Amino acid sequence: MAYSRLTLASAVLLASSVAVVAAELRKPRPVELVPSLSRQPEYCLTCHVGLPEISAAHPEQTFGCVICHGGERLALDEHLAHSSMRGGANPSDFSVVEQSCGGSQCHSGSQADQRDHIQRAMTSVQSTYAGAIASILYTFAAQPDLTARYGIAAISDEVVNTASGVAALEAFDATGFASPSIVKFGRNCTTCHIGATPADGGTYARFTGCAACHSPLGAGAPAEGNRETHVLTTAIPYAQCNTCHNRGNYDLRTMAFVPRSDHPVDRVHDYYQPIAQFVRCEYALDCIDCHTRVEAMGDGDIHSSKKEIQYIQCKTCHGTRTDLPPAMTVTDTNDISLRLAQLNPVVELSTGDRVLVTEQGEPLWNTRLLADGSYELVGKATGERFKFRPVRGSGCTQNPEEQASQYCHECHAVER
Amino acid sequence: MAVFLTLVVGGTGILEMFYYIPTPEQAALSVQTITYLVPFGSVVRSLHYWSAQALLFVVGVHLLRVMFTGASSTPRRFNHLLGLALLVGSVLLDFTGYVLRWDQGIQWALVVGANLLKAIPLVGDSLHIMGTGGANLGATTLIRFYSWHTFGLTLPFVVLSVWHIFRVRRDGGIAVPPPALRTDHERISRRELVRRELLAALLCATVLLLLAAACPAPIAAPIVDMRELTLDARAPWFFLWVQELLRWGDPFVFGVLLPLGLLGLLSAIPYVLDGPAPAELGRWFPASGRGAQILTGVVALAVAALTVMALVRAP
Repeated sequence: MAYSRLTLASAVLLASSVAVVAAELRKPRPVELVPSLSRQPEYCLTCHVGLPEISAAHPEQTFGCVICHGGERLALDEHLAHSSMRGGANPSDFSVVEQSCGGSQCHSGSQADQRDHIQRAMTSVQSTYAGAIASILYTFAAQPDLTARYGIAAISDEVVNTASGVAALEAFDATGFASPSIVKFGRNCTTCHIGATPADGGTYARFTGCAACHSPLGAGAPAEGNRETHVLTTAIPYAQCNTCHNRGNYDLRTMAFVPRSDHPVDRVHDYYQPIAQFVRCEYALDCIDCHTRVEAMGDGDIHSSKKEIQYIQCKTCHGTRTDLPPAMTVTDTNDISLRLAQLNPVVELSTGDRVLVTEQGEPLWNTRLLADGSYELVGKATGERFKFRPVRGSGCTQNPEEQASQYCHECHAVER
Repeated sequence: MAVFLTLVVGGTGILEMFYYIPTPEQAALSVQTITYLVPFGSVVRSLHYWSAQALLFVVGVHLLRVMFTGASSTPRRFNHLLGLALLVGSVLLDFTGYVLRWDQGIQWALVVGANLLKAIPLVGDSLHIMGTGGANLGATTLIRFYSWHTFGLTLPFVVLSVWHIFRVRRDGGIAVPPPALRTDHERISRRELVRRELLAALLCATVLLLLAAACPAPIAAPIVDMRELTLDARAPWFFLWVQELLRWGDPFVFGVLLPLGLLGLLSAIPYVLDGPAPAELGRWFPASGRGAQILTGVVALAVAALTVMALVRAP
């Protein structure tokens, strides 16, 4: 009896051991990655098999995962591994962007070393929303002028370079104002700045922080862990800009957002709301083909309105009837235009090439002067080629001093 | 059973020492390495964990058996003290081992434990420095806990264990009435004893193995900042009753004096109260040793009740 009990217990122990060993052996074999930057092994790829590389500028073998995403690099338990991730699925959220994307070797620094991406993005009107807030406060008599005093978050700028730059903004708290309209504005109208979680609905779907623009979602809402969203690009299609822009209007009476009611089926109708007047290049190109880095991401100063930062006009590319558009020859091998063209290789740019340049000196690196005196622009998001001519020498009689788009629209607007 | 568990905990502990790195930066990462990357590391670590918890439980149950059968009375009074020392040793080993994880799960208990030492009048500051190595809980603390866990406590524990077992034999085996008063003269053979012990060990091993596989030892993210206590503020299960006492008032009185007083009480029982009549030795709840049984029962129930109170309290 005793023997048989012992035998039975031994058999049970043996069976348990075999089961435990089998279970251990069935566990996935850890997949090690030792990125050359951190030189610390990480095992994220054990589960994240076949995740596409986020961008050519951030190769997996160099950066790995943890340097941007954080997380427990050695843990193979989903919960623990993800527990210390920065910003959840989005390390570029402004709450953590400095740790994820910043650092003096990456996207944080001074204007001089051209690494001030985070500082520019966080002080830009897209992030502070200072222009809209100032305009509402002025409209409802809560401040005497249109100079920004509040931003979505408190922010300061130690070095103000432009005449219109503001040194600091306080955090906007609408509940502190007497006007019910301002309180409503605070409640209903602060989801469009890039630090905010967007309103519900696929047409508004985007990430926050840098990824709000640089990780375009394409069609459809982002799914948690969606492979197609593991992307960082400077080729940002207009549809991504339109997750905030051109989606509708704020009604100043009700202080509510009124979504556009049309159901566009093609690019020409989708691009702008029905109210807008525009010329062909304004819908055939993508927003970023005309609007420069400084316009989109700011110049490092805090501004009271987007008007202080937007400066591209028709003449930037087309010139006037008296002057050709300014152009420059790329000479420095480290020129920003070459670096941008390398990031988004829709054109083969090299030293000696001549490209258009804005009045503030930003090269339009996706343009090129052709031998016949005309110009070519390659769509940054589409790769499509557009040939265009300067105004000078054409039949245009437009006064060189009147170059705002409304003047050009008088003759060149297209009908929809 | 306790000996078997001690062997398991010792063996798995030695295996863990090959991978564990006792520095604040590396400790939690090396625990992750053991858990996720070392072949069978998770099983070994979980076995270490579960055998340690089981050891504490078994030692506690053993204490109750000893007290409720009158086995702590003369001539076994001294061995009773050795046993209590082993119980304290098990608790301290469990606590130091728990701290060695050095992750966010242990942060709160470490801070409270360290501050409790400080709360002791006169010698508190010195004890705090001895235990933690200085004002800030860091590398000096971890290396002290590591040394206590792997050496400073383990070595005395082994010596005391051997002494404890040796004293059992010296004191005339387990507590039974003297031969003249025995009603049951049957004794099991040595072979049968080995068989029974082997059977217990096999069953224990099976349970441990399945527990280790099904409920792996706890783990959490590494400590980011010792001053930021973020996670669940619960003590390890064997200190929950002390944690509950701490809510009652002065940390020195309720966190140090009272637990030590209870320990003193358990030690003093065989020296102060009369043991059971020789004829009733080794019998459960003998009528002749009620005082000791009631006192022990009250202590055990109080500890259990406090633990339950701490458990049901929302974290």
